[in-house]
Amino acid sequence: MDVWQQFIILLEGVPLTLSISIFSFLIGIVVGLPLAFIRVYEKEISFVVDAYEKIFRGVPEIVLLLLFFFGLRPFFPFPFGNAFFVACFVLGLRSAANQSQIYRGAIRGVGDEQMIAGMSVGFSKWRAIWYIMIPQVFNFSTSGLGSEYALLIKDSAYVYVIGLAEVMTRSLQLAKSGPGDYVTPFVLGAAIYIALTFPFAFWLDKWGNKRKKKIGL
Amino acid sequence: MLEFLFNPMHQGWIVQGLFLTVEITLFGVLLGLGLGTLLAIGDIYGKKPVKAAIAVYVEIFRGSPLFVQLFLAVYTVPTILNLQIDHAILAFLVFGLNSAGYQKGYVKGAMETILDDQMQAGLSTGMSKIQTLRYVILPQAYRIVIPSWTNEFCSLTKSTATLGYLGFMDLVGAGLAIKGSNYEILPVWIVIGAIYFVWITGFAKIMDVIYEKKRIPGVELAMQS
Amino acid sequence: MADFVMEARNVYKTYSIKKIKKGDAACNVPVKHQVEAVKNVSLQIRKGDIKLIFGPSGSGKSTFLRCMAMLDIPDKGEIYLGDECLTAPGADLNKARARIGFVFQHIYLFRHLTALGNVELALRQVLKLPKEEARKRALDALNEVKVSDCINKYPAQMSGGQAQRVGIARAIARNPDIILLDEPTSALDPELTGEVIDTLRDLAKEGTTMLIVSHEMPFAREVAEEMIFYDEGKVVETGPPSLFFNAPNTDRAKQFMTRIINRTTRE
Repeated sequence: MDVWQQFIILLEGVPLTLSISIFSFLIGIVVGLPLAFIRVYEKEISFVVDAYEKIFRGVPEIVLLLLFFFGLRPFFPFPFGNAFFVACFVLGLRSAANQSQIYRGAIRGVGDEQMIAGMSVGFSKWRAIWYIMIPQVFNFSTSGLGSEYALLIKDSAYVYVIGLAEVMTRSLQLAKSGPGDYVTPFVLGAAIYIALTFPFAFWLDKWGNKRKKKIGL
Repeated sequence: MLEFLFNPMHQGWIVQGLFLTVEITLFGVLLGLGLGTLLAIGDIYGKKPVKAAIAVYVEIFRGSPLFVQLFLAVYTVPTILNLQIDHAILAFLVFGLNSAGYQKGYVKGAMETILDDQMQAGLSTGMSKIQTLRYVILPQAYRIVIPSWTNEFCSLTKSTATLGYLGFMDLVGAGLAIKGSNYEILPVWIVIGAIYFVWITGFAKIMDVIYEKKRIPGVELAMQS
Repeated sequence: MADFVMEARNVYKTYSIKKIKKGDAACNVPVKHQVEAVKNVSLQIRKGDIKLIFGPSGSGKSTFLRCMAMLDIPDKGEIYLGDECLTAPGADLNKARARIGFVFQHIYLFRHLTALGNVELALRQVLKLPKEEARKRALDALNEVKVSDCINKYPAQMSGGQAQRVGIARAIARNPDIILLDEPTSALDPELTGEVIDTLRDLAKEGTTMLIVSHEMPFAREVAEEMIFYDEGKVVETGPPSLFFNAPNTDRAKQFMTRIINRTTRE
């Protein structure tokens, strides 16, 4: 098999790598934002968020994937029998823990005055968060989110352990099936990952700076 | 359900696995710190080609998954070099080189916040640049870097979980081996996960205490809440 | 040749500054412009001299002083420390700086070291003194500037006046040939300048060679042998304090003196 054919096979794994990363990223936003605001504004229950973040900081993604897929599949074939679901579920919740920390920094960046100003015009706490804080939080979290996205692309390689045929899995399959040529598939695989991680983080950072400039920060 | 925990052989595997995980992470993270510091200094003081080389290095190691880097190293480096190299050493090198790519950023960021005035102060007393780096800049930068370094430690430890899939007997390797002897799968992974959790969280806690202890009196370092 | 402890000959220094708002570097376009901070400045200092440079802020005095210590490298001209030309290629600047004490406007103590540690560090690492001797000399220096009560405090735990006196101790502990002081009091609260000035007065009495950038006029009048009025990168006028306090020759110096004396008396 020549290099080009190998490359095509690997490229066919890109949609899966991307969709796992993007779904996980979205789950991360949806779960991570509330976690961040709870951590900042609901001090009484912030220990729950703290525990959540600690668990995802302390348990390897691979172990979680194995646990949810192979461990829970016998008990809950739906939804844990679906490898794609498990991948997005685990990586998404892990990302939420990271994103929660990113947003927490961003909330500090936006500043308490904005929250107080929001409440002064009659918003309740959570309505002020929705209308005043959340739109601004993203301006302050672009660089963090850029690296979080890159991290997800890379971590999506872990789903190899539950058998999803994304770029990493395909590299390994090529390496093992080929005539002893281990170098090409992995070098190509690594190059694809670098290509996927590099431009987006760069672009997001630029966009964030432009936004900040636009609103005079 | 947890009977595998009382099987001496399985206990042995788990202990062995924990030992390998701990060993390889600690060495990796320390190699990463040393190399990362050199890269940071090179990036600040180096000429253009040096900076460009460092940027490429960082992009390669940060841009691709550690999983891929590990496979690449373990499967291909011995073939290319036509040498028998212990896989554990290769893995350890990959973790160190990879970690250096991240730690370079942390160390450089910390150095930049103190470099301006402290370097001048150092030079004004007659110390050379290297002496000032050694006795003034780095002692302060390393203090600032502790929280990021702790995070790096946590994520590096988690990435070592890939080792089990390269045939190493790390914690995940132990789990895979135990699973192979017909036990229920869920409790095995829960126990393995818990061991990781205790080790990582405990180590992070120790680093927090060190950070507090090493704080320069009167100086508020980077806010942590 | 070695008549002078230190000498500057026709020193030029231009630098371009990029003004970037702090905090979000990437979203502000840096404004670049050239500043001619030092234009053909010459200066000689003999042993025991106390000279004082003053002039409007932003005129390049500090840059000139940093050039003297080679903390900024001059574009043109020569700096001599005794017989040694510091601007010559291959000059050992570290060795030279070990013989020059420097006191910064913003103090610049090593933040991770105590007062004692700050003074000791260069004695140990530069002069390579044994531990006990370094300690003894550091304590002597700290004693001399009267901060022996905070030898174990860290910079952030001291008052500005104490910190600056530790800064002076750090500069004098090596027994340098000359001490350069860059506005040592201007970053301090007014009520703290007095203690630093007292320290400098003591140094002056002991015959320390000093080149000071400062606007402390009463102090200047008391200790300076020569005052140097510096404006727009040049030495405009030089003379004893009596000249400046009575009738400076140039208009610019006259104006500046009037303004500064009014301000001082109002305070």
